[in-house]
Amino acid sequence: MDCRAALMNIEAKADGLLPREAEAKLAGHLAGCAACAAEDAAILATGPALRALTGIRAMEKAPALDAMWTRVRAGIEESREARRRPSWIARWAWVCAAVALAVVALLFYPAGTDRPPFHPSSFDVAVEEVESEVATVALVDKGEDLPRVIWIIEDAKT
Amino acid sequence: MNGREKGGDPDDALIRATLAGDDGAFGELMERYKGRAFAVAVGIVGDGDAALDVVQDSFIKAYYKLKEFRFGSNFYTWFYRLLVNQAIDRWRKVARSAEVPFDESWLSGDASPPGAFAYPRTPEDFARDRELGDVLQRAVDSLPEYHRAVIVLREVDGMAYDEIAKVLGCSVGTVMSRLHYARGKLKEILKSHREG
Repeated sequence: MDCRAALMNIEAKADGLLPREAEAKLAGHLAGCAACAAEDAAILATGPALRALTGIRAMEKAPALDAMWTRVRAGIEESREARRRPSWIARWAWVCAAVALAVVALLFYPAGTDRPPFHPSSFDVAVEEVESEVATVALVDKGEDLPRVIWIIEDAKT
Repeated sequence: MNGREKGGDPDDALIRATLAGDDGAFGELMERYKGRAFAVAVGIVGDGDAALDVVQDSFIKAYYKLKEFRFGSNFYTWFYRLLVNQAIDRWRKVARSAEVPFDESWLSGDASPPGAFAYPRTPEDFARDRELGDVLQRAVDSLPEYHRAVIVLREVDGMAYDEIAKVLGCSVGTVMSRLHYARGKLKEILKSHREG
């Protein structure tokens, strides 16, 4: 076996993938070649070096690692609670967004029709039913003699 | 008979029990893998506290995703995929925010380099060679994230090539080439440290 073949086999040997016969040939080469033997030792050293490095970290964090189930269980409970809890913030944010959307839509109220042009002071906003996931938002036009509903958003649908 | 007493893969029994509402079974499953998971996480993120967070978050994620687990496959391969992705995400966040200085607090004892260099094989060896610990940590940190994941899964966890390929979602050939690159880089750094 020459040095080139030996170098190709060194890594396979480190991973235990070299057939026994090839390993015996490699061993014969390494016994007589200092350069390849040094390469072999260096490759073999990386694994233990990494394991030692992580081993130190594990020893240092052993108490925290022992308490890992407490941490994980607490995290699971916290996530479970968060899933159960209704999101009031999200609900009110949805209502506000719906109102804002309606107002923006009204600003583009079509002119040149039978209806009088939109005037910001001539409508009321009524927000109803926000106890559940469904919210009803009504914009009531008071520009005429009788109030009329000009826009309704209900359950995210107009 | 409850889920834990059923035959077959012992992980499967614990998974079934967890899915049936037995959180203690998940605790047992976690106990089996937390040590290995920590070693992999710390190898990738490089910091003990960050690795603990990664392990914790990965197990919580695994708990909620457990219903997606396919029986017949290996739990640890499935779990390691979550873990490695979580660790790489964590590493990216840290790397983006700042250069992480090497934490030498874990190294104690004589700071002077040993007279005759020998590659460290135990934590005690490292404690005797603070400089080498620093060098190796920097070498690992300098590897691209997926190369780091490959060498940690292979050398620290002892995973086979095909298992690493499943965890990382790549081919065995890619695993081999990344491993070769990572080993080469670590080897050169260790060698230059020895000679320098």
